[in-house]
Amino acid sequence: MTLKQLNRFLAKLGKFQENTKCSISNSDRVKAEMHNYTKDNENEPIVLMKGINCRFGNLIANQNVTFDLKKGEIHALLGENGAGKTTLMSILYGLYQPESGEIYVRGKDVAIKSSLDAINLGISMVHQHFLLTPPHTVIENIIVGLKSTKGIFLDTSNAEKKILELSQKYGLKIDPKATVGNLSVGEQQRVEIIKALYRDIDILILDEPTGMLTPKEVQTLFEVLRSMVNQGISIIFITHKLREVIEVSNRITVLRNGKVIGTLKTSDTSEDELARMMIGRAIVDHQFNQGSTSKITPTILEIKDVSALNNSNILFLKDICLDLRKGEILGIAGVDGNGQSELAEVIAGLRKVKNGQISLDGRSIVSLSPRQIREGGIAYVPEDRLHTGLILEYTIVENMVLDRWYTKPYCNKLFLNESEMRKFAEKVIKDFDIKTTGLNAPVRSMSGGNLQKIILGRELSRNAKVLIAHNPTRGLDIGATEFVHKQLIKQRENGVGVMLLSLDLEEILAISDRIAVIYAGRIMAIVEKETANVDRIGLLMGGKAMSTIDPL
Amino acid sequence: MSGGLAFVVVAIILVLSGVNPVIAYEVMLKGAFGSIRGIADTLVKTTSLILVGLAVVVAFKCRVWSIGAEGQLYMGALGGTLIGISIIGSVPVLGVVAMVAAGFVFGGSFGLIPAALKVKLGINETIVTVLLNFVVFLFIAYLLHGPLKDPNTVFNPYSPIIFPQSQLPIVLPHTRLHAGIIIAALATVAVYILLSKTKIGFEIKSVGENIKAARYAGMNVAKSSFITMGISGGLAGITGAVLVSGVQHLLIEGLSPGYGFIAVIIALLSRNNPFGVAIAAFFFAALMSGSEVMYRTLGIPSSFATTLQALVLVFVLIGELFAHLQIRKTEDAV
Repeated sequence: MTLKQLNRFLAKLGKFQENTKCSISNSDRVKAEMHNYTKDNENEPIVLMKGINCRFGNLIANQNVTFDLKKGEIHALLGENGAGKTTLMSILYGLYQPESGEIYVRGKDVAIKSSLDAINLGISMVHQHFLLTPPHTVIENIIVGLKSTKGIFLDTSNAEKKILELSQKYGLKIDPKATVGNLSVGEQQRVEIIKALYRDIDILILDEPTGMLTPKEVQTLFEVLRSMVNQGISIIFITHKLREVIEVSNRITVLRNGKVIGTLKTSDTSEDELARMMIGRAIVDHQFNQGSTSKITPTILEIKDVSALNNSNILFLKDICLDLRKGEILGIAGVDGNGQSELAEVIAGLRKVKNGQISLDGRSIVSLSPRQIREGGIAYVPEDRLHTGLILEYTIVENMVLDRWYTKPYCNKLFLNESEMRKFAEKVIKDFDIKTTGLNAPVRSMSGGNLQKIILGRELSRNAKVLIAHNPTRGLDIGATEFVHKQLIKQRENGVGVMLLSLDLEEILAISDRIAVIYAGRIMAIVEKETANVDRIGLLMGGKAMSTIDPL
Repeated sequence: MSGGLAFVVVAIILVLSGVNPVIAYEVMLKGAFGSIRGIADTLVKTTSLILVGLAVVVAFKCRVWSIGAEGQLYMGALGGTLIGISIIGSVPVLGVVAMVAAGFVFGGSFGLIPAALKVKLGINETIVTVLLNFVVFLFIAYLLHGPLKDPNTVFNPYSPIIFPQSQLPIVLPHTRLHAGIIIAALATVAVYILLSKTKIGFEIKSVGENIKAARYAGMNVAKSSFITMGISGGLAGITGAVLVSGVQHLLIEGLSPGYGFIAVIIALLSRNNPFGVAIAAFFFAALMSGSEVMYRTLGIPSSFATTLQALVLVFVLIGELFAHLQIRKTEDAV
């Protein structure tokens, strides 16, 4: 049985379960209720969550949270990672059960025991990571789990009609017959939204919907959200991005450490105020750049016409030419999967160079081993901190010496010197203010920010000439992000050439001196900080050649 | 402990076969521990199981899934025998030391073959090690029927007896308990130190825990695979040499009753802890010598013992699976 057949089978199985669980009369009743409700209670909240408490072990995820959604509004749920946003919405969507608290939907006290209950109440959720099967078409992905009007056969023609209607109604451009695996991230998100709307819901939860989109795609998404709201759909928008909140929402609820800090009207607040509420203090603005690019420093790392294969042995990096100067941050902007990982790995010696030359301080490093390249002066903060940067089963001490255990003073000829290893770890823990769970505990249980600090502490203490940092702040909260940025800037000030590969364009714009845009394994353009502009970089990230873009 | 369930299941099978399980287990227990000779026999088996168990632990620590300990054991036995019947074997002390060393070299270099195939050509080491076992069995059979056959026997495919100077001394008079148990104890401590205190051990463990992170940190994955398989094969080889030097005093085809395979179970049960290996090895040795007595006195086939061994593994693995799921569940919730 091929994978495709298996998936088809599973789809049918899902449909069968749906048939057995949910009767039509039930959903008709809810629809009638929806209708009555809109007539009677125009100003009542459509969703009211009262006094929600939820905890996992010792961790309090939600503490006495009260949240309300009005009909036809975009309500942003703002907070750092771990503030309890997703937990709260997972409760509303029936994925978790709260310890205590009440939920009212359209004024009625409800118990939402599963996502099926939620959908029957007209609530749907689009997750951060899409739940689509790539080999299937858009239609198949959308109708998975629904009752077919044609018995055991799939009713694709009616489904297509309905999908096109929805697509037109809300401006969600999509080709129903396309295979999901061939769609861009933005298009896949549209499929997820249509999948929700297809189930006749009028309350939509979006979990970090802009995380993987280009600036252009974000704008398209916001237009769609506005048109949905205009047609009576209420939206909850989970995010930690202040700018987006201000741009798209009507009201904002800020969560911190599982508690509601406040609910405000967007028109009455500012980014500064929200940031203070979100992290409990003001953010230091990124004004680090003055005067740094005024003098041109010598090149430290030169990449010339480099090509390399990707993991599927397809030529992916094509003729990359870049030069990294001493004391600068070179930002590499691009949408995920356009060759950033390959580029970083090629420099670090973890991926073979097919053609071309890479030289560090004038010396070729193409044929050197990863260890020789590290010893030559390249430090590397990898993109996957959990599985590449660290060994999660190891203690913080072992992780700290992962790259230097074989050198003095951490060992003699045969044996490791544990007290020197500890001493070094303790120093980095202090310098980088790492919150540990103990020197002898595996690092697995530490938070993302602290794990990243271990890697940074290790890599920066190498006193390297070049630092490659790949998505160094992905998934970190504002405080930890700020810390990482400060460290990168400190490296630049010490004359290190820093290459920052990041999916977060704002981050690149904030701290880079020059910005290179990577698309489909090629460098599209390198722009100076002064001439950089979000729209232009956005177009380059989408693959528009420099020459076709109007200058500013 | 979930392993105890295995005894319950086997008890049910015994009842179904018309045997009183209480008596069967009692005989087994008495056989393994009821007399000095019984205990000595159990310890002799423990010696082999510890050594070969450690061999598998070293491989598993580096996530090299080697099932080739049995073949490496025989190669080591061959190396030991060649020394034991040579002129070196007639020198006191040196004979024994040289036999053990030859066992290490023969087993270790044989272990390098799957390592080379894995590193250079990317061939799965599990398949290679399993198949190489058969190559060794046939090679040993050929030698024992041909060039290495004792010229003084006509029918038996035995090698000549090794010089008495290269035979491990008996440490408990009137039993079969030989000085190999000391070698096993030393090896346990040595493997513990190797894995937790030395540079080589750190590299082996890192490659085993997370090959991506090891490569990223600048470790040489190919080199650690070679070192791992060299040490692992070497320990298995020592097992074979000790079996010849301490128990059989000559090379025969049935030298090991599958120690190299039981070692895999022991390694899994010990969670790759050298001291855990010693405990698990003792348990399995008791099971083996107990079931021999059970067979002799009650006529219960020794396949019951094999069943028991397999079921212990199955239940322990199921127990771990559930524990793992429990952890995953709580982690997902956070």
